[in-house]
Amino acid sequence: MRRRGGKFPWVAYLVVILGAVAMVMPFLDMVMSSFKGAGEYGVIPYKLLPSSFNLDNYREAFSQLELPRLFRNSVIVTVSVTVSVLVTSSMAGYALAKLRFRGRAVIFRFILATMMLPPFLLLIPTFLIMLNWPLAGGNDILGRGGDGGLTTSLVALILPFTVSGFGIFLMRQFMVSLPDEMLEAAKIDGANQWQTWRLIVLPQTKPVAITLGLITFIGTWNEYIWTLLISSSDPSLQTLPVGIQLLQSFLDPDRTMPIVMAGLVISTLPVLVVFLLFQKYYVRGVVLSGLK
Amino acid sequence: MTTAVSRVGDSRTAAAPARRLGRLQREGRAAYLFLSPALLFFCVFLILPFVFAIILAFSDWGGFDLGTLKWAGAANFRDVLSFNGTFVKPILVNTLLFAFGSVFLATFGSVLVAYCIDRLSFQGFWRVLYFLPVVATVVAIGNVWKMMYQPAGMINGVLNKLGVNSIGFLSDASYALPSVTVVQAWASIGGAVLILTAGLKAIPEMYYEAAEVDGANSWHMFWSITLPLLRPALLFVLITQFIGGLQSFALIIVMTGDGGPVNATNVAAFEMYQRAFKYGAWGTASAMAMVLFVIILAITLLQLWIARRRGEETS
Repeated sequence: MRRRGGKFPWVAYLVVILGAVAMVMPFLDMVMSSFKGAGEYGVIPYKLLPSSFNLDNYREAFSQLELPRLFRNSVIVTVSVTVSVLVTSSMAGYALAKLRFRGRAVIFRFILATMMLPPFLLLIPTFLIMLNWPLAGGNDILGRGGDGGLTTSLVALILPFTVSGFGIFLMRQFMVSLPDEMLEAAKIDGANQWQTWRLIVLPQTKPVAITLGLITFIGTWNEYIWTLLISSSDPSLQTLPVGIQLLQSFLDPDRTMPIVMAGLVISTLPVLVVFLLFQKYYVRGVVLSGLK
Repeated sequence: MTTAVSRVGDSRTAAAPARRLGRLQREGRAAYLFLSPALLFFCVFLILPFVFAIILAFSDWGGFDLGTLKWAGAANFRDVLSFNGTFVKPILVNTLLFAFGSVFLATFGSVLVAYCIDRLSFQGFWRVLYFLPVVATVVAIGNVWKMMYQPAGMINGVLNKLGVNSIGFLSDASYALPSVTVVQAWASIGGAVLILTAGLKAIPEMYYEAAEVDGANSWHMFWSITLPLLRPALLFVLITQFIGGLQSFALIIVMTGDGGPVNATNVAAFEMYQRAFKYGAWGTASAMAMVLFVIILAITLLQLWIARRRGEETS
């Protein structure tokens, strides 16, 4: 690139490569540590490479961490949230982009405003609402008497994330640009709104749906605080990040860390693969959300 | 005669709006049906908790039965904001240092990196490398860095090779907060680089060509073309990262467990979490959340205001 006064590209290369090393080294350390055997971790002087690439830590991670259960929970929660966000966002986005109705501007502004409320603010009340959810977990119609309400099932990890203000916004922005003629034609052919949405609009939204799906998938897979909270009284609800983190609290760190690292490699791989396969779409989503 | 004509005209003009009105009503009903899942959700998981959070902040409540909730007025806020407690100092001060520090480092780093990447080939490859931490879970990031900060970890290993004694990055109270701040910045550079690269791409080439003709060097171009025109993207990065920094505490939980040593890495959102879910002090915890929320709101509005005022001055 000759542009932009690029007289010293080697300086740029140096900066970018040094930075990239700083970005990648921790991950390299994570992978290498996951192969370190007994007595190899936590030793001075530090060595990056393990003496041999044995898979003991991975075996341990599978047995001690109950990885299959954590994995199953992570998949159930992530898939449910992602599908739900896609459906609700495209429905609401269609209404806001293509239908004319009283209160449209107000509702659109309201949905923009929902993105302003920081999650930590709603953490306590949402937890209490889930706890006192009527007719769940033994609660009566007033939400009393039971033990745990909705917090005793995976529903608690899914329900509070089923709709995304950002998702609706993204879908709406995309759908505004769909040609009206196409929708008119469908209406003249006798399609009702549901059919128009389902058969005409939905297939057109594939690119933005992939973007939104990826952002939601990665965000949900990595979610930590809420899951930690909900699963604190019921370990069977743990997902991968929470299960792996909690392993450390009751084992010797010098022995545990390599096992934890093996677990982290396993839990990072699915996200990494999905990200690398679809990074074009993921990147576009981040950029879109930045440029409004 | 004229009445007949006008009546014909009337009936024609009257029928069309009626049909349109009918269609609009049908469209309106359909629209609200399409919106109903989202609106219902926002009522239950946004408006209700928000109102609940405000009520809790002004009440005295330690149990799970709403019947025992008592109105406490501003007592919680007096408690929380009292200078004798730990919330204002060191916790709120930590929060601001953590957020300011990480945003400063990440913004400085990402402008530098984005500007450099923009001059290289294989731009997509570089961006993906910088983006890796954004995709990883906070548990992975926190644990790997915790490991690297240990006396037997990678960073002290390198320091020892250079003849420097090991540093207790997370165990020494004076190093702990900066150490965590660096990790937060490291993890957020990738997202910022991406948005800034998009901002850089949007700057028309001809500005640089014109500047070159006028004999400007790279440094001039950066200060008088790149930086001013990058401002909208930069502002977005600053605001979102600042909001993120002020409320994030997952990294703290993972890296230091309890905000230690001795509150050195404790931040407001984490203190709120502890008060609520460890001690069941819903009122105090909610008051803390409100204080933090107001600070976030004020800082965001201030940043927007500064941006707008600057914009008027220059244009």
